[in-house]
Amino acid sequence: MTNLPLWIIPLFPLLGTILLGAIAVISSGSKKGPSEGFVGALSVLFPVISFVCVVLLAFGMPEEGIRETLCNWIDIPMLKVDIGFLFDGLSRVMLLFVTGIGSLIALYSIGYMHGDRGFTRFFAYINLFLFSMIVLVLSDSLLLTFLGWEGVGLCSYLLIGFWNHDLNNCKAANKAFIVNRVGDIGFLLGMLCLATLGGSAILNYEALNKFVEMLIAGGHVELAAPILMIAGLLFFVGCTGKSAQIPLLTWLPDAMAGPTPVSALIHAATMVTSGVYLLARLSRMFVLVPEVLLVILIVGMLTAFWAAVAGLFQNDIKKVLAYSTISQLGYMFMAAGASAFDASIFHVFTHAFFKAALFLGAGAVIHSLAGEQDMRRMGGLIKKTPVTACVMIFAFLAIIGFPGFAGFWSKDLILERLYTNAPFGEFFYFAGLLTAVITAVYMGRLIIMTFFGEYRGSKESEEHIHEAPASMLVPMVILAFGAVFAGYLWADSMGIKFFANTLAPVVGEAQSYSLGAAIHHVNALTFACFGTAAALLGMIIAYVVYGRARIPQISAKESSAPVGSKADWTFFFDYIHEIFITITKAAAFIADMVVDKILQAIQWTVGSIAEIVGDGVSTFQVRKVRVQLTLSLLGVAALVAVVLLTGGLF
Amino acid sequence: MLLHLLVLAPFAAAILMIATSKEDPKSSSRLAFLFGFAFVAMSIALIASGNQATEAIEWFHIPGAKGAVYYYLYSHGLGAWMVFLSSALSLVALMTARNSLDKNYRNFAIGIFALMGAMNGTFLAADAVLFFFFFEAMVFPAAVLIAGFGGKERRKAAMTFAIYTLVGSAPMMVALWYLITLADNSLVLSLAVALQNLDPATQTTLLLCFLLAFLVKTPIFPFHGWQAITYAEAPAPLSAILTGAMSKAGVFGFIAWILPIFPLSMEVVDSMMWLGLVTAIYGALMALRATDGKKLLAFSSMSHLGLAVAGVFSLSESMLPAVLVLLVAHGLSAGAQFYLMGIAERFAGTRDIEQLGGLAARNPVFGSLFGFLAVLSLAVPGTAGFVGEFTVLMSLWDMGPLPALAAGLCLILSATYMLRFVQKVIFGKPAREYEDGKRMTAIEGSSIGVMGVLLLVFGMHPAFITNALQLFDESAVQEMNKLTHPAEDAQTVEASADTTGEAIADENIAAVAQPMTDDDLRQLDSNLKANGFSDEERASLIAQLKNMSESEVADAQEEGALEQNEANVKEASENE
Amino acid sequence: MELQPIYIQILALVIFTIGLIVALSRRNIFFVLMGIELALNAVNLSFVGFAKTLPADMSVAGQIFPLFLIAVAAAEACVGLALVILIFRNRESVDSDNYSNMKG
Repeated sequence: MTNLPLWIIPLFPLLGTILLGAIAVISSGSKKGPSEGFVGALSVLFPVISFVCVVLLAFGMPEEGIRETLCNWIDIPMLKVDIGFLFDGLSRVMLLFVTGIGSLIALYSIGYMHGDRGFTRFFAYINLFLFSMIVLVLSDSLLLTFLGWEGVGLCSYLLIGFWNHDLNNCKAANKAFIVNRVGDIGFLLGMLCLATLGGSAILNYEALNKFVEMLIAGGHVELAAPILMIAGLLFFVGCTGKSAQIPLLTWLPDAMAGPTPVSALIHAATMVTSGVYLLARLSRMFVLVPEVLLVILIVGMLTAFWAAVAGLFQNDIKKVLAYSTISQLGYMFMAAGASAFDASIFHVFTHAFFKAALFLGAGAVIHSLAGEQDMRRMGGLIKKTPVTACVMIFAFLAIIGFPGFAGFWSKDLILERLYTNAPFGEFFYFAGLLTAVITAVYMGRLIIMTFFGEYRGSKESEEHIHEAPASMLVPMVILAFGAVFAGYLWADSMGIKFFANTLAPVVGEAQSYSLGAAIHHVNALTFACFGTAAALLGMIIAYVVYGRARIPQISAKESSAPVGSKADWTFFFDYIHEIFITITKAAAFIADMVVDKILQAIQWTVGSIAEIVGDGVSTFQVRKVRVQLTLSLLGVAALVAVVLLTGGLF
Repeated sequence: MLLHLLVLAPFAAAILMIATSKEDPKSSSRLAFLFGFAFVAMSIALIASGNQATEAIEWFHIPGAKGAVYYYLYSHGLGAWMVFLSSALSLVALMTARNSLDKNYRNFAIGIFALMGAMNGTFLAADAVLFFFFFEAMVFPAAVLIAGFGGKERRKAAMTFAIYTLVGSAPMMVALWYLITLADNSLVLSLAVALQNLDPATQTTLLLCFLLAFLVKTPIFPFHGWQAITYAEAPAPLSAILTGAMSKAGVFGFIAWILPIFPLSMEVVDSMMWLGLVTAIYGALMALRATDGKKLLAFSSMSHLGLAVAGVFSLSESMLPAVLVLLVAHGLSAGAQFYLMGIAERFAGTRDIEQLGGLAARNPVFGSLFGFLAVLSLAVPGTAGFVGEFTVLMSLWDMGPLPALAAGLCLILSATYMLRFVQKVIFGKPAREYEDGKRMTAIEGSSIGVMGVLLLVFGMHPAFITNALQLFDESAVQEMNKLTHPAEDAQTVEASADTTGEAIADENIAAVAQPMTDDDLRQLDSNLKANGFSDEERASLIAQLKNMSESEVADAQEEGALEQNEANVKEASENE
Repeated sequence: MELQPIYIQILALVIFTIGLIVALSRRNIFFVLMGIELALNAVNLSFVGFAKTLPADMSVAGQIFPLFLIAVAAAEACVGLALVILIFRNRESVDSDNYSNMKG
């Protein structure tokens, strides 16, 4: 069973991309398009095969993982990189949920995208995304990871701008790609920085770990620390771009312009967590530079808090979830910053389930309301769409960390590690706890505004509300199960440490290096109590504030964007980005209107001088051919005379 | 034989094309495609068959020069790939022009073949005068094609183009003539030797004269005045050739002529690198504001080529393969984008991107292809552009973090303008009503698609490109040496051939002949220490290295002037 | 009295000068052509005259050369006249002073 080659995992989505892309292009001329059943079956089949391969490999995986070098990629004097795959505890976890959730969401999309003109194109992109994501987590070197890294960014761009006849979607897509590009340059320079330290060979993870070991064994950590610190910061810039952390987080809320399954798959469950994956993958390097970890910790905390508050102000159901994603990612970064890499990956894992379930639920709601996204026009949907409501409520309980649900285990673990591991642990712990309260508030607001109370939309639209089709419900229910039970893979207070053991070979050494001997022993139950209290407090606040308040009817035209000081908070980082955009525009303006005009003026001056001189000379060109002939004969005679007199020029 | 065919046969093809019907593009296009395919096949054969040279045939004497001018062609990896670009882009140009030009297709094909012959000659010439001859000859077919087939302001564009490039290379002609009067003949080696004996001021003057020609041709800021208007007004297939192949002649000139002949001082290398980076950023900024689709692509090309020039003057170990991959990738992607822009212009009747839009809905196959190639030009990993830009970035990182940061900024800007371009052209809704023009035909689409696939293939396996790379191999250097020093005995010829061959081959002579400085040793020591070597091991290793480098210094001193020259080049890069 | 070679050269020079003056001074393009023809023939004469000074076996070359020249001159006259006719058709004039297209 284990002798399956690793390249077979990315192969199938790639085949799917090529096949579906070909179908999409060929059928684009015809009015009707290819049969949706056929295309849908194909597009689910490939991720499912991948998933099966991953499962087969996962169960037969030896402790130290499987390594496989496929072929040489780049081979020039300064850069030798192979295309190789690495299947270990970390990539196993990531692959399982990437392909698993990917398959589920592909299934869901068949129902969601029904009747869309770009049905085939959509699934081609989804398959391409899965291919890139698999390459990202499966590769054994930074450069190949970067291939997946930019690949998922590209797919994100394509899918956000999927409905490209509306330019607003295109603008959101452009923003996502460009902001990500800024982060990607950080990644790129980080790689170069590492390469100066140990040559291009240490772009390979295994070699990098060996190199770090050598540094530690030789006691040369201080020597390498400055370069490692720059490299670490640059990589972190890359992570902030992809995982929407401060300051590169503005693109994620806008990315909700894409179809909802895309938001679930790419902008909640998988792609945005690749930054956390990278931190865990490079954990050996990061623990050598605690300063960088502190930066990550602070950025994670600020992001988590800021996004949670911003989530309170949103009226668009998907925007709430987007800010919630950013906030949860902040938690993961806090965990990584406290060198609890396994806890951060665990949160990635549980978050993938409940956030995907939330998004798919939101998608089902939007689907049933024929595209309405403003929560102020919803309400009372629990009667009309009970299954969706149940799924959402389970996922809601998971995200706020209600005892027993997935989020409870992972979030409490993170808070506990913050308290024990991090410098100024108490401070970060309370910041995390406060954020948890706010999380419960805004999620409670979402649930209350959507599913409880009275329906606030127009009367005609109320009649059309219907439960989603089965192909959409099945994945949602499965994910809801995940949201409930995924946490039991690492239920610390119950003594189950399956998940931790899986990751131990990858991040264990890094964590023990970082913590040294001083491991605090704390009572996990205390933390569980505090966490539960925070969740309950948040729920109560949400009920008190939103449960009873009458939400005013709004006119059909009003936009869902927040206004006033709420907008200032929400768009704070957009304003900062705006400064950079203005600078770039000003530079472009100067280049175009000043520098270029000066150059043109010089060009024109030289040209006119030549013209004036030419005019002058051309008056020598007397009108009569005969006279010219005479002059030229005289010239010949003069030349001959000179040659005769001087005895030759040469 | 292949070399002769590639240089001379295009001219023959141009003459043969006269025999075909002027009125009926059907027959003439068949013949043109046939020739085009033959040339592409030959260029692939040239790449596959590795380095080769023709016999050096005496062509004529220049008054005042000691030796003859040779008709001497030489193919190395760099030149061979450039020849591939010129022939492949010409073929696709012939294919896409078939539907845009009905009447004068024959004349267009004649011009394209003449241009191709001149370009191939430029990239394959081993003799400086021959090189210059073809370098200038390129201008005329191009200018005639612009004036004959261009847009509204075609005459002005053709004049600007011709005058700019000809004036730019005029100083080079004078400098070359001056050098030839001193050298034994006009091959690289003799020119380099001749330059040794000049005083530094003269050397610098000559260098500037040479540089100017290539700066204008590439073009590099601030000599880019001709570029935007020329690329915009030229017919799109020609613009593709101009940017994909002809502008490479500038970068090619830096690598194949400037670097081997001139000992470059640190200031020159540094300022050239920064000039390249400024061009890269300036081009990107201009592209951000451009509203004419072809001008936007022109500025994008300028930006990429600026990066390539900066890469060349990083003089790092992997500069050559890095720049070569970048050039090939840019040639294919920028060329394809110009073709596509031409098709968009034909379809919508305008090339103003504010007036375009919605092509993805109106013409979905075209939209997909357009998006696909835009993505390929963004240097997304897995495409050849990424390999090129990453390796160039790596070379620049060697020069310090600041150049690398500037190049990184340029990558961000390139994403910005390219996405804006894509959005304006194929997304959204059309800005105005218009009659659909001719759609993209299958042959156009597939030929451009093949270019895209090639970019992917080279991106996943750049060894196809980099393996071909050996700028000067031994046999050719020996041949040149025989022409340079006919009287000397075989022994010395052999020796100097070896060293120069290596030196020019990978710019890496310092690793062989440059003595290690104390700083280097200290650096090495700390590296070793970091890797856990014990004290005794390190001490003995370093003593050994010191001995070696001392003996090398002695050797190097014996080797004489030529060697020194190469070392200077190296030193420049080494100091950095 | 033997014909002195110098006389032949003097004659050739006179004819050449007449041809040149005609070519330069007349405005009618046909006269210009005639003048050029005359100058050419003067050169032929000069060739033959010099050939006469050489020993018999070598002088052959000098006498054959004018034959070639006459053939070339014929071709040249052909082309020249054809050009003149074309120009005349365009310009309706045989006045060479009117042919001033090249001026600025």
